[in-house]
Amino acid sequence: MTVLLIDDRTEASRQALTIARQFGEVSAIAMDAIQPFAPDALAAAIAGLNPTAVVGAGTERGNDLLARVAARMNLPFAANCIAVEPGDPVVVTRQRWGGSLLETARLHSPRPLLTVAPHTVPADDGRAPPEVEVRPTGADTTVSVSEHIQPSNGGVSLADAKVIVSGGRGVGSKEGFAIIEELAGLLGAAVGCSRAVTSAGWRPHSDQVGQTGTKVAPEVYIACGISGATQHMAGLKGAKRIVAINSDPQAPLMLNADYTVTGDLKEIVPAISAEIRKRR
Amino acid sequence: MALALFTRRALFLYRLVRSGKPAARFDNLHARTRAEAADVLGQRKLLQRLVPGLMHAAIFWGFLVLFPTILIAMVGAVDAHSTLPWLGAQGWYSFLVDGFALLVLIGVVTAFVIRKVQRPARFEGSHLREADLILVLIAGIVVTLFAWHASQIAVGINDYPAASAPISNALSGVVAPAAPWLERVAVWAHVLIILSFLVYLSYSKHLHIAVAAINVFFGKMRPRGTLDKIDFERPETEVRFGAARATDLTWKQMLDTMSCTECGRCQEVCPAWTTGKPLSPKLLIMAERDHLLSRSEAPIVPTAVIDDIVWDCVTCGACMRECPVNIEHVDHIIDLRRNLVMVESRFPDEAGAMLRDVDRTSNPWGKPQSDRTQWAEGLGVRVLQPGEPAPDVLFWVGCAPAFDERARKAAISTAKLLQTAGVDFAILGPRESCTGDPARRMGDEYTFQRLAGENVQTLNEAKVRKIITTCPHCFNTLGNEYSDFGGKFEVVHHTEFLAELVREGKLSPAASDRTITYHDSCYLARHNDVRSQPRELVDAVGKAVEMPRNRERTFCCGAGGARMWMEEKRGRPINQERVREAAATGAETLAVACPFCTVMLDDGVRETGAKLQVFDLATLLHEAVERKKGDSPD
Amino acid sequence: MRIAACIKRVPITGGRILLTDDGRAINTQHLGFTMSPHEECGVEEAVRLIEANKGDSVVLTLGPPEAVEQLRDAMALGIDRAIHLQTDGQEWDAEATAAALLDAIRADEAARGPFDIIFFGNESADSGGFQVGIRVAYALGRPCVTGLKKVTPEGPSVRCEQEVEGGRDVYVVPTPAVLTVKEGLNLPRYPSVPGRMRARSKPVAVVTPRRPDPRLELVSLAVPAGQGRRAESLGAGAAAAPAVVDLLARAGLL
Repeated sequence: MTVLLIDDRTEASRQALTIARQFGEVSAIAMDAIQPFAPDALAAAIAGLNPTAVVGAGTERGNDLLARVAARMNLPFAANCIAVEPGDPVVVTRQRWGGSLLETARLHSPRPLLTVAPHTVPADDGRAPPEVEVRPTGADTTVSVSEHIQPSNGGVSLADAKVIVSGGRGVGSKEGFAIIEELAGLLGAAVGCSRAVTSAGWRPHSDQVGQTGTKVAPEVYIACGISGATQHMAGLKGAKRIVAINSDPQAPLMLNADYTVTGDLKEIVPAISAEIRKRR
Repeated sequence: MALALFTRRALFLYRLVRSGKPAARFDNLHARTRAEAADVLGQRKLLQRLVPGLMHAAIFWGFLVLFPTILIAMVGAVDAHSTLPWLGAQGWYSFLVDGFALLVLIGVVTAFVIRKVQRPARFEGSHLREADLILVLIAGIVVTLFAWHASQIAVGINDYPAASAPISNALSGVVAPAAPWLERVAVWAHVLIILSFLVYLSYSKHLHIAVAAINVFFGKMRPRGTLDKIDFERPETEVRFGAARATDLTWKQMLDTMSCTECGRCQEVCPAWTTGKPLSPKLLIMAERDHLLSRSEAPIVPTAVIDDIVWDCVTCGACMRECPVNIEHVDHIIDLRRNLVMVESRFPDEAGAMLRDVDRTSNPWGKPQSDRTQWAEGLGVRVLQPGEPAPDVLFWVGCAPAFDERARKAAISTAKLLQTAGVDFAILGPRESCTGDPARRMGDEYTFQRLAGENVQTLNEAKVRKIITTCPHCFNTLGNEYSDFGGKFEVVHHTEFLAELVREGKLSPAASDRTITYHDSCYLARHNDVRSQPRELVDAVGKAVEMPRNRERTFCCGAGGARMWMEEKRGRPINQERVREAAATGAETLAVACPFCTVMLDDGVRETGAKLQVFDLATLLHEAVERKKGDSPD
Repeated sequence: MRIAACIKRVPITGGRILLTDDGRAINTQHLGFTMSPHEECGVEEAVRLIEANKGDSVVLTLGPPEAVEQLRDAMALGIDRAIHLQTDGQEWDAEATAAALLDAIRADEAARGPFDIIFFGNESADSGGFQVGIRVAYALGRPCVTGLKKVTPEGPSVRCEQEVEGGRDVYVVPTPAVLTVKEGLNLPRYPSVPGRMRARSKPVAVVTPRRPDPRLELVSLAVPAGQGRRAESLGAGAAAAPAVVDLLARAGLL
């Protein structure tokens, strides 16, 4: 009669643990229990453990795995929850639109399957739950990682970056990003952009921050000339501090930032770079 | 033989033009005749530049007067004692011939001085050798004519009284010794030069003497800023999606290319060319002409015209205003764009993002329509709901003031002024879609027509009759282009409306000493002739200082032709060029009447560090009205 | 080669989301609509693969009558046919959506043969369930790989690249397969107008499936309160630069 937590050994899993504990005694199963990562095999192993509920972090792999468990066990699955009320039925509050909208729903299921949206629930700081061993049973490994490709450039990865300097439509052109790159270089930061910028072909999709791009969690996110559509904001849930630079004080991102600077980014961004150099 | 060669070539050209795609140019015959009289007979557009204009007029009018002498010479070449009945003996005619022949000679000499001494930059890229040869041939025609007449008089076989041809008469003394054989030589030389010229002209740019007059007659008689629509209701294989190959050009466009005299007046005023971009309207038309006459089946873009050239155009129409033979360069470029965008999907990426946004969210900013009322929050502006009675005036806000914070001020000022003046107005709010101008100027006629249909329906259902707008592009599209789609509205630009309110005393601005230079928007001053009303407003609130390129000679801010959404990759930025011109006037304020000009010139001021402040006329007027009231200005 | 792509009609929301009075749906008045972004790339990939390999393509959607616009958009990009599982506008949960799509896919495959690849978006922009593609794959007994940024058929298999932290993971699975893809897989083409005109007359088969009771049952929607970000102004223009740098210094990031 155990609640199973999928543990990928990150902060997100410890956040998921907080929710899992609401359902009862928790045991954990490692995300990397079956090597190389073979989600169908792992889902089979999970089903075989006959858990009363399965909770994971709402990461890419977490959602992938839980969906397979749900499909295998013919049960409903609620992804990216931020709150639950155990009961019959369980009532979940989950994210829509990357977190810009919240849904309250009833999960009619004998065994609740859900993932917890990262950066929404405090991490459990108690003792780690006991781990369940997984014995490979020759289950289906058709889908498994066969190879890993390292990124080609040595640049700072957007998902890991502590500081991100990001540009939007207000930057004006591909060449306009030179001042963004300059500031990023001085800070050892990654360069990000909005969807408008990738649609215009100024920067590659790998630089895009947002609901359909990369979700980031830096210490500081400096947004230059980005209006702040909900799909972009959805990528910033994990950002600790947002500094917004925009000529329009009413832009949505200006209203949802921690710090704002009003004015022309073409003057402000170089001024920041100059100030940094001055202090070095 | 010369006639045979000429005829063969003429037939070839005629058949080529007949094979061109259809164009509706048989409307409004009255206006066409008037244009023909003014521009061709009256040389009106050529005289926009005085000296070259007079030079050409001399040669042209001379050609008209001297035309019968060609026939007289042919008769006289065969029989020295014959001439045209009646005309050949008229003293007044020989007087005219003498006088105009001299004028032609003066014209030719002037032309050479212009070309060889002054060397204007507009000839860059033109075929100068060809032009020189033509001038030499014209000179030859006139010189041999004088020689012949002089010899005739010397020998005594002139049919007209010698005294009535004073120049020839004076020359007769000089040529007397050689007269008898000179008379024969001169008349035959005259005829031969004319015949070879006849053949030569059909293969050179001098073809314009046959074609240009026809081209002017078939010019566009609709308002200048209007583009022709495409009929999408036919089966897909029959729709003409602009021009991909030479065979796709309409007969009018083919005629355009044959009318070009390579004078370069268009090139000289083109904002793209003068800021170092590859687009020259002259070179474009010449390239199309060569491509067409070579019967090439290759696509026009990129074979004759590279992609960049097609996208460099801001549709300002300066080229069309200058062109003496009324070539419609902008229509050519739009047709090239239509094919590139609608069929080949080949265009600058950033413009593609704008097209997608216009298509899906009904505005080029990709923002939700419900945001369209944000600028008016707290102003007490009425938003017209479906089914409500129409206001006296519908204030069509446009996309820029709704979604761009710099363009907002003009809309806010206009609304406040209308309220102060007690005008009954309303806005459509979220039911206002983009007029489609950026899509149409990009060449995406399909998206444009969908938006036009929607807007016309909204406006007609609301029974709107009078519309005021702050944006010249909306003004042009709503007022001139929507009539093709069932929308007939009285559309007034906000400067026109506000000027009238000031005249009527419903708005009282306080005058000031502030020096203001007004930038004419292309779509107001050139495409739609709105030039004086904005100046009334300038005079009411400050002291006017004009830029050199003003009124219909205005220099574009660089945003037209959907270029607002494209990057300028080469040459100098057009907006900075214009800001420099404005700053050189020494004025403190740069007044504008268009949200795009506002943004472009404001950017230009920041980029160049010019000591100028950019304001829309509505904002300046509002400040002045408030000052007069004694309230503190905004 | 046979390829299918499944899409969903979603509104384009902009900077704010407004709800209907009953709080159970987004107020879509005056909003534009589109295919969910990940799926647009799936459709484009389907078109490219058929262009390269010859065959036929089908686009499917479960949605209200207006969703035919998105089907026509997909066909304007080059998809041959569409299947419209028409709803009355009520929302269907992910499980029910997958079941309805499954029936339609099975019916089409019975008539014309199996799809080598069925493309889904990794998750829909609105409800973000992350499961429709996976459920369909399990029901069909086919391998499913998710979150793909690159897809390369290699004979009887397909090589799939999934973006992860620190690079890409590669999976090679045999076809027929179900793949869920993400924006960035490709750059969808701009549809040509002849393409759009042709799409107006391409066939759309309409089916009206019965809506089962949802097991993840929507109760209400709410716009979350801001994360408590207080939008403190650091100043205006270049003069604010020192304040920004102070902030970075305090955070230990200089």
